[in-house]
Order: sequence, then C-alpha cells, then structure tokens
Amino acid sequence: MAATNKFDAIVIGSGVSGGWAAKELTEKGLRVLMLDRGVMVEHGDYDHESKPVYEIPSRNIMPKKEEERDYFISKHGWVSPSQQRYYNNDRLNPYALEDGDEFHWIRPGAVGGKSLIWGRWSFRWSPDDFAANKREGVDGAWPIGYDDLAPWYDYVEKYAGVSGSKENLPYLPDSKFQPPMPMNVAEKWLKQRLETEFPGRKLINARLSNMTEDKPEQGRTKCQFRAQCDRGCSFGAYFSTQAVTLPAARKTGRLTLRPNAVVSNVEYDPKKKRVTGVRVIDTETKRAEIIPARIVFLCASAMASNQILLNSRPAGSAKSYFDNSGTLGRYVMDHLLKVGMNGEIPGMAEFTEYGRRPGGVYIPRFRNNAPNEDVGFRRGYGYQGSASRSPCRPVGFGESMKHGVRAYGPWLFGMQAFGECLPYEDNRVSLHPSKVDRFGTPQLQFNVTFRDNERKLMADARVQGEEMLRKAGLLNVSSWAGELIPGDAIHEMGGARMGSDPTKSVLNKWSQAHDAPNLFVTDGAQMASVSCVNPSLTFMALTARAANRAVKEMKSGRI
Amino acid sequence: MIDRRTTLASLGAMFGTALFAPIARAATATQPLQGAVGTPVFTSAQKAIVSALSERVLPTTDTPGAIAAGVPAFIEQLLGEWGLPGDVAPIAAGIAAIDARSRLDFGKAAVDASPEQQDALLTLAMNRQLPGVEGFFEIFRQLVITGYYTSEVGIAAEREWVPVPGSYDGSYPVAKVTKIMVG
Repeated sequence: MAATNKFDAIVIGSGVSGGWAAKELTEKGLRVLMLDRGVMVEHGDYDHESKPVYEIPSRNIMPKKEEERDYFISKHGWVSPSQQRYYNNDRLNPYALEDGDEFHWIRPGAVGGKSLIWGRWSFRWSPDDFAANKREGVDGAWPIGYDDLAPWYDYVEKYAGVSGSKENLPYLPDSKFQPPMPMNVAEKWLKQRLETEFPGRKLINARLSNMTEDKPEQGRTKCQFRAQCDRGCSFGAYFSTQAVTLPAARKTGRLTLRPNAVVSNVEYDPKKKRVTGVRVIDTETKRAEIIPARIVFLCASAMASNQILLNSRPAGSAKSYFDNSGTLGRYVMDHLLKVGMNGEIPGMAEFTEYGRRPGGVYIPRFRNNAPNEDVGFRRGYGYQGSASRSPCRPVGFGESMKHGVRAYGPWLFGMQAFGECLPYEDNRVSLHPSKVDRFGTPQLQFNVTFRDNERKLMADARVQGEEMLRKAGLLNVSSWAGELIPGDAIHEMGGARMGSDPTKSVLNKWSQAHDAPNLFVTDGAQMASVSCVNPSLTFMALTARAANRAVKEMKSGRI
Repeated sequence: MIDRRTTLASLGAMFGTALFAPIARAATATQPLQGAVGTPVFTSAQKAIVSALSERVLPTTDTPGAIAAGVPAFIEQLLGEWGLPGDVAPIAAGIAAIDARSRLDFGKAAVDASPEQQDALLTLAMNRQLPGVEGFFEIFRQLVITGYYTSEVGIAAEREWVPVPGSYDGSYPVAKVTKIMVG
C-alpha cells in the first residue's frame, strides 16, 4: 500500500509541533501532507504590522457585539482587531461543558496555529520536572528524563533562535542561547535588591523565542523592538511556523500544505494494529475524504488531538481504538495564571526605554526545588514581569494638564505568576454524547477543575510576590488574584500521556501510540505533568525527537 | 503574554483611579455584554456641548486640541460600541447641569459661553460643585483623554510613534526625549 500512497506521512496541525514535524520529516526524505483546519496566512502577509492604533479598525478595540457573538472565548486570549484573523471563531466551532463547569479553550484559527500568536517565553524543563511524578508517587511517571531530551533541546534551540542569559541553575537548565534581551535600568536595580533580600532567589532575563542575532541562512532578521509580535513578524524575528519551519519544509519540495482542512478522526486497521490514514473534511465545501499514509503525526493542539483520538473508534462504539489503557482524555492540565503584583520602583527618573522590547524578566521557581521542603503544597511557580514608564498621571484639565502629561511618571513594575497544576485522573475531556459541530464531529466536552494544591500554590505565589516587591523597596505595592479558570493560561496539556506501561498511558517514550506504532502524538496531549515553565520549547524538542525515531523505524521496516 | 499591552490598557495605569466602565471594558475586554445601545448616542445639542467641553479639557495649544483629534466622534463611537444603557446617563446629566449653570451664571447656553466661562463651568464640575452630577467630570475627562491619546494627533503629533525602533536601550536618557514615545 505504501508504494501507492501519495504521502508517506500526514501531519495534522501546523502549529509549533506540526511545523517541526513537517520540517523534520520532509528533510529526512518523506513526502508529507500537513493539514490545518485554519485559513492560510503566508509569511509576510500579516495584518496591521507596524501600524499605529489609530490606523487599526476600532482603534484596536474589539467591538463588543462582534466579540460576544464570535470571540467570546478568544477574548480571554487577547484577540483584537489587529490579529483576529488568526483566532478561532467560537460561534462556528463550539465545545461542550456540563452545567457549572468552566474551561476556556482558547484556539487559533489560522495556519501556524498558536505559533503565530504565542507569548514566546521558552524554557527547558529541569531534570526534576521529569522526575517529580515518580518521586512524589503522583500517578503518571515519565518514561523519559532530562538527558533523553537535552540533545533535542540543543537541536531545536539552535534552529529556532532562543535569547536568554546563561545562569547555571539546576532547576532551570540553560538553553543554547543567543544574547539576552537586555534588562532596563529599573529591572537591573530590582535584580540586585531582590537577590540581596532573598538569598537563593533569582531575577533573570526573559528566555524568549525572539532573536537578538540575525539568521541570514534562514532569511530571518533579529528583533526590531516593535512589540507587536501577535500581529505576525515579517522580519521572522520570533519563532513561528510561517517564519521558521514552513520555509524549511517547503524547501525540500516534499511538503504539501492544505489549509481549511479539519480532521475528524484517524483511520485504523484493527487487524494490523496500524493507522492507515486520516479522514479530513474541507471546511469550505464540507466534503470529506480519507487520505492514506504510512505514518501519522498528530499535532492538532493538545485538546484537539484528544478529540481526534477519542473520535477514532469503530462504528457504533464509544471507545477509541487508542484507549486500551482507559486513560485517554484523562489527566488534563493547564498552568495556573491570574495572580499578579505590581509597584513603583523609586528613582532612576533620568532614564527611560527606547524601543519596545518583547518579554522582560523572570523569577524562576524557588519553592520545592530542594526535596522535603515543608511549604504546604507540591511543585512551584515562576513569575514573568517587566518594568516600564508611562506618562505622568493627568491632573485637572486644560493646557496645564495637557502639557503636564508630556513627562514620564515613575518606573512601574508588574509581574504575574505561572504555577504548576498536578495531574488528576478525573480531570478529563470526552466526546459529548449528542452535541456535534458543523462537520458532524462530536463536540469535545471538558470536565476539568483545579484542586486544593493548585489554590494553595497560587495563594503562596501572591503572598511571596508581594513580599518580594515590598522588601526589595518598591513603593505602593499591591497584588491581585483572579478566578482560576482552566484554559486561561492557554497551556492546556495532557489527555494522551506518555508512559512505560501500556495499561496506564496512551503513548510510549517516543510519543508513539501504544495501540498503533505508526501514530505519533507530539503536541501538548502527550504531557504527563506540566512543570511551571512555558511548554512550547519542550513540544519542539519532543517532536524533533519523535520524527527522528519515526524515520528510523520506517527505514528498519518496523512501521 | 506580559508584553501584550495595548495603548488602551496602559491608560489604566495612567489615570491611577477607577476607570469609567466603558473605557475599562475596552481596555480589558473581559466583561460580558449585558445589553447594547445603538449609535448615535447623543442629540445634536448634546454633541455640541460634548465637542466644546472636550476642547477645553484638551485645548489647542502648540499642538492640536481635542476637536482636531476627532475626540467628540470617538466618544460617541466608544459609547456606542462599548457602552451599556446606564453609561450615557451620567454624561447626559452632567452636560445638562453644565448647560443649566451656564444659563444661570452667564445668561447663555454652554456652547455659546466663552472659553474662559466654559473653563469656569468645568472647574465647578471638577470641584464637585454641581449638585447631583459629582461623578461627571472624571468620567468625561477620561473619555476625552482616551480618545485624544489613541488618535493620530495624540500619537503622532503630541507624542512620538516610532513604527520600527530597530534597537532597544533600557537606560535611555530622558534628556534626549523631546516627545514621549508610545507603543
């Protein structure tokens, strides 16, 4: 059959993971079809780049009626008129919740997926991030460790371009960095103050997939400090499918990219225990077809990959071909967001910033880095923040007010915590028994809640964050805490976790389905825990590693 | 995602006080819609007062003022797109009170009062000396400031817009700044 297939591999999804899968597989000689349910956005064909706010419709404010009609979930992911073409239309693509449940499934709606609109903070996991589940007896031991992934981190970082500072921290391994985005004068002051008052805690440069050096061999230019990354970047200064992995895959001449193509399920031969292709629906004509391939890389984004796996099942059966373990759709996680603090940094009034820098500074996790800390909860959190100056506050009205705001106010610093969520068996997604989408595919239903450990951890993040800013000497320090709603961090993960035991996990240590060796799931669905650091860099490394393995397996004839 | 600041969101820090609800909704964009008002939101008489008073809040000086910046139309657009039925009322009540006071003090409508007389009326409002409309001044001022500093005049004339800075300097001398740089 393979000889007659038009494609050796099908990659479902074109985001961070899908783009890497397409690049690696085509470069290794495979003919690849990459599918994405979203619209096509070519590199350089970005909306509203470099435009000031008054040239953007509605001064870049989402008109409320349109937002509530079509972007009522996307609004939690900072949709605005300048980039709304890249976001999901929530009216056309619904999902299901039971009464009282909450989940913000914030999705992109264009080729490139979230790589176009992501936050770009990029960290390696630590050795303990992989070890913690097993060490603590938490359900979900990782079948791989840091050393398995380290060479693949090296590999993807060098190509993608990650800026950051070398710190030699055991709990936050360094990447192969380009020079860091510099701290401003107020952040340098805060670093010195905070590290003096809190020995052992660090305030370091942001680690970002925003380049500080050119990559002429890829046609990419370093960051130009516009700070409008979410509109797309024609300089190719940040990692996106459009700027980085898609050009590489196209260069091989072996890539076919099909936008407007949503996958309902993976086709499976139960006798051979192999996937045989995918069923894809054209979102414009609604015509469905089955496209065969020798291997499939499922990179549709964590929850969409769960939906496709769950919906790959025998006719009339509710049970997926890939759920012999009974764990598919379970152990869904997200990072914890919505705790922040801010204050005024005294002095340095003679300086301000030139240029609009992406990112800022990072306070890495300091809780439970040593074993047996007694802080009342497991795992930890980090903070992302930045200092900047805004114009003075307006006083009164008229000429004196107008001319009074021609000066800068004090340096203001703000930061937000990102916390780790534990995996729970009953935090799950499933197919709704009756609700379907406009293509007839059962809607994904979310049943995910945060628990006691999550609430305690974020309560501590608020207390510690405020204390750090106060003791460092900031003025007018205040903190805030919003409701913890799963999905809000846009780091949803899990549901098809890796594991050594096929009775307790969906994928093996190569991101390969236990129940079908020619199916690889390399996006966030494979995660057995979530660390507290941003996940995309780890998806890149896992995808490149899985692609390498897949091609070896194909060459050896095993798949 | 920390850097996803918008011009509007940064206005929140600028006022240092509770934002008028439609501006806050515009800046944070997370509140559910509870009903919408259609545009236009003002009568022509109300429009004339809004226009005249906005120019006094941000007058023409060495740079253009609120009218040249299109602030009156922006206020209507903002209230139309973001306003809830209750949001227009305090503005309508405020300009009615100012108009009534103008007729009392100066014997003419607020739109016909001199700039100095209009300033005196706004000062009364600012000092909460217009009974029943004590909240009007801050709301109105926020609307004018928001409209002005998101306009071409506000961004490109009053302040400086650098589309492609090309580099970053985190200790840039304020002495070298002639106009505040905006994102």
